[in-house]
Amino acid sequence: MIFFDRASNLLSDLPAIVVTVPLLAALIASGAGWINRKAPFIIAIASLFVSFISSILLLLQVTSTGVVIEYRMAGWAAPIGIVYIIDHLTALVLVLISSVSLINLIASKRRIDDQFRNKEGAFYSLYVLFTAGLIGMTTTGDAFNLYVLLEIASLSGYALIGLGSNRAPLATLNYLFLGTIGATFYLLGVGYLYIATGSLNMADIASIIPKMMNSSMILFAFIICLTGLLVKLAIFPVHGWLPGAYSESATVAASLVAPLTTKVTIYIMIRLCLSVFTPQYTFQHLETTDVMVWLSVITIVFGAISALSQKDYKKMLSYIIIAEVGYMVGGFFLGNKMGISGAILHIVNDAAMTLALFMVAGIFLWKTGEDSRESLKGMFGKMPFTMAGFTLAGLSVVGVPPTCGFFSKWYLILGGISAGQYGFVAALIFSSLVNAVLFFRIFEIAHFEPFKEQHPHNDHCDEQHQAKSHNEIIKEAPLDMLIPFIAVSLLLVLLGLYSGAIVNNIIHFVIPKGII
Amino acid sequence: MKILGKITILLCGSLLLFFTSDFPDFGDANSPASLHLSPYFIEHTLEDTAVPNVVTSVLADYRGYDTMFETTVILTAGLACFLLLRIPKRAVKNRYYLHEPTGVTLRFEGDKYPQESDVFKRIDSSWVPYDIIINFTCRLLIHFIQIFALYVVAHGHHSPGGGFQGGVVLGASVILFAISGNLRAAIKRFGEKTAALFSATGVFIYAGTAALCMVLGENFIDYAALAPILGSDRIMARSHGIFIVEIGVAVAVMAVMIWIYYNLSSAGKQDEGL
Repeated sequence: MIFFDRASNLLSDLPAIVVTVPLLAALIASGAGWINRKAPFIIAIASLFVSFISSILLLLQVTSTGVVIEYRMAGWAAPIGIVYIIDHLTALVLVLISSVSLINLIASKRRIDDQFRNKEGAFYSLYVLFTAGLIGMTTTGDAFNLYVLLEIASLSGYALIGLGSNRAPLATLNYLFLGTIGATFYLLGVGYLYIATGSLNMADIASIIPKMMNSSMILFAFIICLTGLLVKLAIFPVHGWLPGAYSESATVAASLVAPLTTKVTIYIMIRLCLSVFTPQYTFQHLETTDVMVWLSVITIVFGAISALSQKDYKKMLSYIIIAEVGYMVGGFFLGNKMGISGAILHIVNDAAMTLALFMVAGIFLWKTGEDSRESLKGMFGKMPFTMAGFTLAGLSVVGVPPTCGFFSKWYLILGGISAGQYGFVAALIFSSLVNAVLFFRIFEIAHFEPFKEQHPHNDHCDEQHQAKSHNEIIKEAPLDMLIPFIAVSLLLVLLGLYSGAIVNNIIHFVIPKGII
Repeated sequence: MKILGKITILLCGSLLLFFTSDFPDFGDANSPASLHLSPYFIEHTLEDTAVPNVVTSVLADYRGYDTMFETTVILTAGLACFLLLRIPKRAVKNRYYLHEPTGVTLRFEGDKYPQESDVFKRIDSSWVPYDIIINFTCRLLIHFIQIFALYVVAHGHHSPGGGFQGGVVLGASVILFAISGNLRAAIKRFGEKTAALFSATGVFIYAGTAALCMVLGENFIDYAALAPILGSDRIMARSHGIFIVEIGVAVAVMAVMIWIYYNLSSAGKQDEGL
C-alpha cells in the first residue's frame, strides 16, 4: 500500500524530477570527478536516462489525458510561487532535449575522455547542467525563472564550446558577448512586463495583457524580449556569433549545443508569443507577420548562400543551421495553422538532423583528423555504414521523402502559400536546392574520388592528435560511436513516416483556437 | 562599422528613454507592481513562513526555486573558469628563492629546486617585498571579517543579509589572505580540491534539502515537509528550511569565489600569482 502511495507520488513529482535529477547529478559529478575519474560519466548518463524516461512518461501522460500538468514549486500556487507547466508542446520538446543529450553523450564518451583528460568531472557536470537548464527553460511557467535557467544553459554552453581549435576561445567570446546581450534584452523585457502587469507568471501575464493591448510598455516588452531571443537565435543581422562558435569548438560539445540551443530558443519564442503575449496580441494587434517573415526570408537566403561558399564541413553546417532558423521563425510568424505546425515539427526534425550531421562530423574527425571536405575522398568504400547514415541525414536536410525534412518543409510551404507569403515559399525552395548542391557535392567526393592515403598535417586543429597515424587503413567507426549514429539516422526516417501522427496527436493541441 | 554600432546604440537608448514615459511614478502606490502580488507577500510572509524579512522569504521560499538555480549559476561560473583556464601542472621555467640568512635572491633553472625550509623561501618572479604592516593588519582583520560574515549569513532572517552576501564576505577574507601573503600560502590552507568540493557541496545542500522535501512527500522545496525532522511545526519548518539553504548558498558562494580567484589570478597555473 505504501509502495503504491510512493509510486503515485513519484508520478506526480515527474515535472520536478525531470529537471532536478540532472541538477543533482551535475553537482555530484563535479565533486566525484576529484575522487574517481570514471564516476562522472556514469552519474551523468544515469541522470540523463532518468530524465529521458520521465519526459517520455510525461508525454504519454499528457497525450493520453489531454490535461495540462501543473507542478507547484515549494507548494505555492501560480502567481505567488513558481509553477511548472507541461502541455503537449513542452512534453514533446522535453523528449527531444533529453534524447539528444543522452544519445550524444553515449556516442562521444571516447572523445571526451581523450580531450578533457583530468577535467572529466567539470566537463560532464557542465554537460548535464546544460541539459538541465534547457529542460528547465522548457518546463517553466514563470517568465523570470526562464531567464535564470537561460543563464544556466548559456553559461554552461559557453564553457563547453570554449575549448576546441586555437580560434575557439575568440569565437566563444563573440558568442558570450552577443548571447549576454540577448539574455539581458530578455531580462529587460521581463522587467517591463513586471512594471506593466505586476506579475511574473506567464499565465497570469497572459490574462492581464488583453486588458492593456495599447500600453506602450507592453509593446516595448514584446519588442525587446523578441529582439533578445532573435539574437540568441542568430537571425540575419545578428548571426555573427554562430558559425565561429559551432565550427571552432570541440565536436563533442558542438554536437550537443548546435542541435539544442537554437531549437529550444525557438520553442521559447513560440511559448512567449502564444502563452505570454497571447496570439491576438502577436498576430492581430501588432501584425508582426510581414516583418518577421521577410526577416526570416533574408536569413534563409543569406544562410544558404554563405553555406555554398564554405570549404570547412562544420562551418557549412553552421550556415545551414542559420537557414533552418529562418525556416522556423518564418513558419511560426506566418500565423496560420500549417505554418505553426510546420515550425514546431521542424524543431523536432531539425534537432535530429543537426545531431546526425554533427555526429558524423565527429566520426570523420576522429578518423581523419581533418575538417575539410576533401578529406572525405573515398569514404563510402571505407566506412559504408557511417556513409549510409550520412546519406540519410543529408537527404533529410535537402528534404527528400520519406525522411523527416521533407514533411516539415511541406507544412511550411503549404503554410506560406495559404498565408500568401510567396517570398517565403521561394526562399524555402531555393535553400532546399542549395542544400541539394551542397550535399550531393560531398556525396560525389566521398563516393567517386579515390581514397587519399596520405592525410597532410593540419596544424590548426587541436583535435588532430586523435587521428590515427597516416598509414593505418581507415575502417568503420568504433561501435559505441556508430550505433548511436545509425540509430539517429534511422530515427530521421521514422520521424518522417510518423510525422502525421506527431502533428495530429501532439502539435494540433498546441495551436490556439483563434488560429486557422 | 563603428558608426553602425553607434547608431544602433543611440537607437536603443532613445527607444528606452521614449518608453519610460509610460512608467508609473517612482514609489507610486497605485502602480500594477505594487497592487498585484506585493500586498500578498507583505501581508502574509510572517504567517506563512515565520520570517520577518520579506525579501528573505520571497527569495528563499516563495521563489526559492529561482534562487537554487541562481546558486547553480555561480557554480557554473566556477566550473567554466576551471574547465577553460586551468592548466595542469607543468614545470615553471624559473623559480626564485630567497635565502633568508643572507637575504640573497636566487634564481633556479631546470628541475632541481631546494626544499622549502626556513633557509630557502620561495618567492614569486614578480615579487614585491612583503609589507609587515599590511601582512599583520590583514591577519588581524581576517578573523573579524569571517565572524561578521557568519553574522550576515545567520541574520538574513531579520536584517539585510543572507547566504549570498555572507558567502561573498567569507570568500573575500580568504582572497585577502592570498593578496596580503602569496597565492601558494592561501592554496596550502584552502586547497583547490577543497574549493571545488565545497562549491559543489554548497549547492548540494540547497538542492538536496529541496529534494528531501520531495522524498518526504511534499512538493520540491516545500520546507514544511521537514517539520518532523526539525521537530517544529510546519510554518517554523519553513523558517528553518530557509536557514539551511542560506548556509548552502554561503558555502557555495565562498568556495566558488575562491576557486575563480585562484584560476584567474594565476592564469590557471595556480603556482605564481597575486
